[in-house]
Amino acid sequence: MSAIDITIVNQGGQLARVAGLLDRLGAEHHLAPEVLADMQIALDEVLTNITDYAYTDQAEHEIHIRLQVLDNVLEAVIEDDGAPFNPLAIPAPDVSTPLRERRVGGVGIHFVRSLMDEVAYDRAGERNRLVLRKRFKT
Amino acid sequence: MDLREEKVGGVTVVEVKGRIDSTTAPALGARLTASLVAPKVRVLLDLSRLEYISSAGFRILLLAAKRADEAGSRLVLCGVSGKVRQLFDLGGFLDLFTIVGSRDEGIAAAG
Repeated sequence: MSAIDITIVNQGGQLARVAGLLDRLGAEHHLAPEVLADMQIALDEVLTNITDYAYTDQAEHEIHIRLQVLDNVLEAVIEDDGAPFNPLAIPAPDVSTPLRERRVGGVGIHFVRSLMDEVAYDRAGERNRLVLRKRFKT
Repeated sequence: MDLREEKVGGVTVVEVKGRIDSTTAPALGARLTASLVAPKVRVLLDLSRLEYISSAGFRILLLAAKRADEAGSRLVLCGVSGKVRQLFDLGGFLDLFTIVGSRDEGIAAAG
Protein backbone atom coordinates (compact mmCIF):
# COMPACT_ATOMS: atom_id res chain seq x y z
CA MET A 1 0.00 0.00 0.00
CA SER A 2 1.52 3.32 -1.00
CA ALA A 3 -1.38 5.69 -0.31
CA ILE A 4 -3.78 6.15 2.58
CA ASP A 5 -6.87 8.36 2.52
CA ILE A 6 -8.13 9.60 5.86
CA THR A 7 -11.11 11.74 6.74
CA ILE A 8 -11.27 13.38 10.15
CA VAL A 9 -13.63 15.96 11.58
CA ASN A 10 -12.66 19.22 13.26
CA GLN A 11 -13.03 17.88 16.79
CA GLY A 12 -10.37 17.04 19.33
CA GLY A 13 -8.82 13.63 19.68
CA GLN A 14 -8.61 12.80 15.97
CA LEU A 15 -4.95 13.40 15.32
CA ALA A 16 -3.68 10.27 17.05
CA ARG A 17 -5.39 8.22 14.32
CA VAL A 18 -3.62 10.20 11.59
CA ALA A 19 -0.26 9.78 13.35
CA GLY A 20 -0.88 6.03 13.67
CA LEU A 21 -1.65 5.64 9.96
CA LEU A 22 1.42 7.67 9.00
CA ASP A 23 3.51 5.40 11.23
CA ARG A 24 2.07 2.38 9.44
CA LEU A 25 2.84 3.81 6.00
CA GLY A 26 6.35 4.67 7.17
CA ALA A 27 6.94 1.16 8.51
CA GLU A 28 5.72 -0.47 5.29
CA HIS A 29 8.14 1.62 3.26
CA HIS A 30 10.98 1.43 5.76
CA LEU A 31 11.20 5.20 5.99
CA ALA A 32 13.94 6.63 8.20
CA PRO A 33 12.73 7.79 11.66
CA GLU A 34 13.95 11.30 10.85
CA VAL A 35 11.81 11.51 7.69
CA LEU A 36 8.78 10.17 9.52
CA ALA A 37 9.31 12.51 12.50
CA ASP A 38 9.48 15.58 10.25
CA MET A 39 6.22 14.64 8.53
CA GLN A 40 4.53 13.80 11.85
CA ILE A 41 5.44 17.23 13.20
CA ALA A 42 4.34 19.05 10.03
CA LEU A 43 1.01 17.20 9.98
CA ASP A 44 0.43 17.89 13.67
CA GLU A 45 1.05 21.61 13.10
CA VAL A 46 -1.14 21.86 9.99
CA LEU A 47 -4.07 19.85 11.38
CA THR A 48 -3.98 21.65 14.73
CA ASN A 49 -4.09 24.97 12.91
CA ILE A 50 -7.10 23.87 10.88
CA THR A 51 -9.09 22.48 13.81
CA ASP A 52 -8.23 25.49 16.03
CA TYR A 53 -8.57 28.39 13.61
CA ALA A 54 -10.13 27.50 10.25
CA TYR A 55 -13.78 27.48 11.25
CA THR A 56 -15.96 30.34 12.37
CA ASP A 57 -19.13 28.30 12.91
CA GLN A 58 -19.85 25.50 15.38
CA ALA A 59 -20.65 22.92 12.70
CA GLU A 60 -18.75 19.73 12.11
CA HIS A 61 -16.38 19.91 9.16
CA GLU A 62 -14.49 17.20 7.35
CA ILE A 63 -10.77 17.39 6.73
CA HIS A 64 -9.34 15.08 4.08
CA ILE A 65 -5.80 13.82 4.24
CA ARG A 66 -3.99 11.73 1.67
CA LEU A 67 -0.67 10.24 2.68
CA GLN A 68 1.45 8.66 0.01
CA VAL A 69 4.90 7.46 -0.82
CA LEU A 70 6.02 8.41 -4.31
CA ASP A 71 9.49 8.13 -5.84
CA ASN A 72 11.75 9.20 -2.98
CA VAL A 73 9.06 11.50 -1.62
CA LEU A 74 6.71 11.18 1.33
CA GLU A 75 3.72 13.38 0.56
CA ALA A 76 0.72 14.59 2.51
CA VAL A 77 -2.18 16.43 0.87
CA ILE A 78 -4.55 18.16 3.28
CA GLU A 79 -7.88 19.61 2.17
CA ASP A 80 -10.32 21.56 4.30
CA ASP A 81 -13.31 23.83 3.74
CA GLY A 82 -12.29 26.37 6.36
CA ALA A 83 -11.40 30.03 5.98
CA PRO A 84 -8.75 30.71 3.32
CA PHE A 85 -5.35 30.27 4.92
CA ASN A 86 -2.05 30.24 3.09
CA PRO A 87 0.71 29.22 5.51
CA LEU A 88 3.31 30.32 2.97
CA ALA A 89 2.12 33.90 3.34
CA ILE A 90 2.84 34.04 7.09
CA PRO A 91 6.09 35.84 7.94
CA ALA A 92 8.74 33.80 9.79
CA PRO A 93 8.68 34.43 13.55
CA ASP A 94 11.35 36.56 15.20
CA VAL A 95 13.01 33.80 17.21
CA SER A 96 15.34 36.28 18.95
CA THR A 97 12.56 37.90 21.00
CA PRO A 98 12.81 37.26 24.76
CA LEU A 99 10.55 34.67 26.40
CA ARG A 100 8.16 37.13 27.99
CA GLU A 101 7.33 38.79 24.68
CA ARG A 102 7.19 35.66 22.59
CA ARG A 103 4.14 34.22 20.97
CA VAL A 104 4.47 30.57 20.07
CA GLY A 105 1.90 31.25 17.36
CA GLY A 106 4.09 31.40 14.28
CA VAL A 107 6.43 28.62 15.34
CA GLY A 108 4.25 25.76 14.09
CA ILE A 109 4.13 27.13 10.55
CA HIS A 110 7.85 27.86 10.76
CA PHE A 111 8.44 24.19 11.64
CA VAL A 112 6.35 23.07 8.66
CA ARG A 113 8.26 25.25 6.21
CA SER A 114 11.67 24.37 7.68
CA LEU A 115 11.17 20.61 8.00
CA MET A 116 9.50 20.01 4.62
CA ASP A 117 11.35 20.10 1.32
CA GLU A 118 8.31 21.49 -0.48
CA VAL A 119 5.09 23.15 0.65
CA ALA A 120 2.44 24.16 -1.89
CA TYR A 121 -0.86 25.88 -1.25
CA ASP A 122 -3.86 26.57 -3.41
CA ARG A 123 -7.42 27.64 -2.85
CA ALA A 124 -9.82 25.89 -5.17
CA GLY A 125 -13.44 26.92 -4.84
CA GLU A 126 -14.23 26.90 -1.14
CA ARG A 127 -11.36 24.61 -0.20
CA ASN A 128 -7.81 24.99 1.05
CA ARG A 129 -5.40 22.46 -0.37
CA LEU A 130 -1.97 22.11 1.15
CA VAL A 131 0.70 19.75 -0.16
CA LEU A 132 3.64 18.78 2.05
CA ARG A 133 6.59 16.91 0.60
CA LYS A 134 9.54 15.34 2.35
CA ARG A 135 12.25 13.79 0.20
CA PHE A 136 14.19 10.73 1.29
CA LYS A 137 16.97 8.54 -0.05
CA THR A 138 16.34 4.89 -0.72
CA MET B 1 4.38 9.38 25.15
CA ASP B 2 5.34 7.82 28.48
CA LEU B 3 6.20 9.85 31.57
CA ARG B 4 8.31 8.49 34.37
CA GLU B 5 8.81 10.43 37.53
CA GLU B 6 11.27 9.88 40.34
CA LYS B 7 12.72 11.86 43.21
CA VAL B 8 16.47 12.22 43.35
CA GLY B 9 17.44 14.11 46.47
CA GLY B 10 15.17 17.11 46.44
CA VAL B 11 14.76 17.11 42.68
CA THR B 12 11.73 15.76 40.83
CA VAL B 13 13.01 14.11 37.67
CA VAL B 14 10.44 13.70 34.89
CA GLU B 15 11.57 11.55 31.99
CA VAL B 16 9.65 11.86 28.73
CA LYS B 17 9.75 8.96 26.31
CA GLY B 18 8.23 9.03 22.84
CA ARG B 19 6.57 12.03 21.25
CA ILE B 20 5.18 15.32 22.44
CA ASP B 21 2.55 16.48 19.97
CA SER B 22 -0.91 18.03 20.17
CA THR B 23 -2.32 14.68 21.34
CA THR B 24 0.14 14.05 24.17
CA ALA B 25 1.06 17.62 25.21
CA PRO B 26 -1.92 18.03 27.60
CA ALA B 27 -0.79 15.03 29.69
CA LEU B 28 2.71 16.49 29.97
CA GLY B 29 1.19 19.84 30.92
CA ALA B 30 -0.87 18.23 33.67
CA ARG B 31 2.17 16.40 35.03
CA LEU B 32 4.37 19.52 35.04
CA THR B 33 1.61 21.59 36.61
CA ALA B 34 1.31 18.98 39.38
CA SER B 35 5.08 18.93 39.89
CA LEU B 36 5.29 22.72 39.96
CA VAL B 37 2.23 23.35 42.12
CA ALA B 38 4.24 23.86 45.31
CA PRO B 39 6.50 26.93 45.48
CA LYS B 40 10.29 26.70 45.31
CA VAL B 41 10.46 23.17 43.92
CA ARG B 42 13.13 21.78 41.63
CA VAL B 43 12.14 19.88 38.52
CA LEU B 44 14.43 18.26 35.98
CA LEU B 45 12.89 17.31 32.65
CA ASP B 46 14.91 14.54 30.99
CA LEU B 47 14.32 14.61 27.21
CA SER B 48 17.00 12.10 26.22
CA ARG B 49 14.36 9.54 25.16
CA LEU B 50 12.11 12.03 23.41
CA GLU B 51 11.63 11.39 19.68
CA TYR B 52 10.27 14.80 18.74
CA ILE B 53 8.26 17.73 20.01
CA SER B 54 5.81 19.88 18.06
CA SER B 55 4.82 23.49 18.80
CA ALA B 56 1.98 22.24 21.03
CA GLY B 57 4.68 20.76 23.26
CA PHE B 58 6.78 23.92 23.26
CA ARG B 59 3.72 25.87 24.33
CA ILE B 60 3.45 23.58 27.38
CA LEU B 61 7.16 23.86 28.19
CA LEU B 62 7.11 27.68 27.96
CA LEU B 63 4.09 27.79 30.22
CA ALA B 64 5.82 25.50 32.75
CA ALA B 65 8.97 27.67 32.66
CA LYS B 66 6.87 30.77 33.30
CA ARG B 67 5.07 29.06 36.21
CA ALA B 68 8.38 27.95 37.70
CA ASP B 69 9.77 31.49 37.44
CA GLU B 70 6.75 32.98 39.13
CA ALA B 71 6.82 30.44 41.98
CA GLY B 72 10.55 30.76 42.61
CA SER B 73 11.01 27.19 41.38
CA ARG B 74 13.62 25.78 39.05
CA LEU B 75 12.88 23.94 35.84
CA VAL B 76 15.95 22.45 34.16
CA LEU B 77 16.05 20.45 30.92
CA CYS B 78 18.59 17.75 30.03
CA GLY B 79 19.16 15.28 27.20
CA VAL B 80 18.29 17.79 24.47
CA SER B 81 20.02 16.23 21.46
CA GLY B 82 19.57 15.13 17.86
CA LYS B 83 16.16 15.86 16.32
CA VAL B 84 14.88 17.39 19.55
CA ARG B 85 17.80 19.81 19.72
CA GLN B 86 17.20 20.74 16.05
CA LEU B 87 13.60 21.64 16.91
CA PHE B 88 14.63 23.72 19.95
CA ASP B 89 17.10 25.52 17.69
CA LEU B 90 14.61 26.04 14.84
CA GLY B 91 12.07 27.58 17.18
CA GLY B 92 14.66 29.74 18.93
CA PHE B 93 13.95 27.99 22.24
CA LEU B 94 17.49 27.00 23.25
CA ASP B 95 18.09 30.27 25.10
CA LEU B 96 14.69 30.31 26.77
CA PHE B 97 15.35 27.32 29.04
CA THR B 98 18.07 26.21 31.39
CA ILE B 99 19.51 23.29 29.44
CA VAL B 100 22.30 21.01 30.62
CA GLY B 101 23.85 17.89 29.10
CA SER B 102 23.28 14.91 31.34
CA ARG B 103 20.84 13.94 34.06
CA ASP B 104 23.60 14.18 36.71
CA GLU B 105 24.46 17.71 35.60
CA GLY B 106 20.76 18.48 35.65
CA ILE B 107 20.31 17.27 39.21
CA ALA B 108 23.30 19.38 40.24
CA ALA B 109 21.95 22.40 38.34
CA ALA B 110 18.42 22.05 39.67
CA GLY B 111 19.50 21.31 43.24
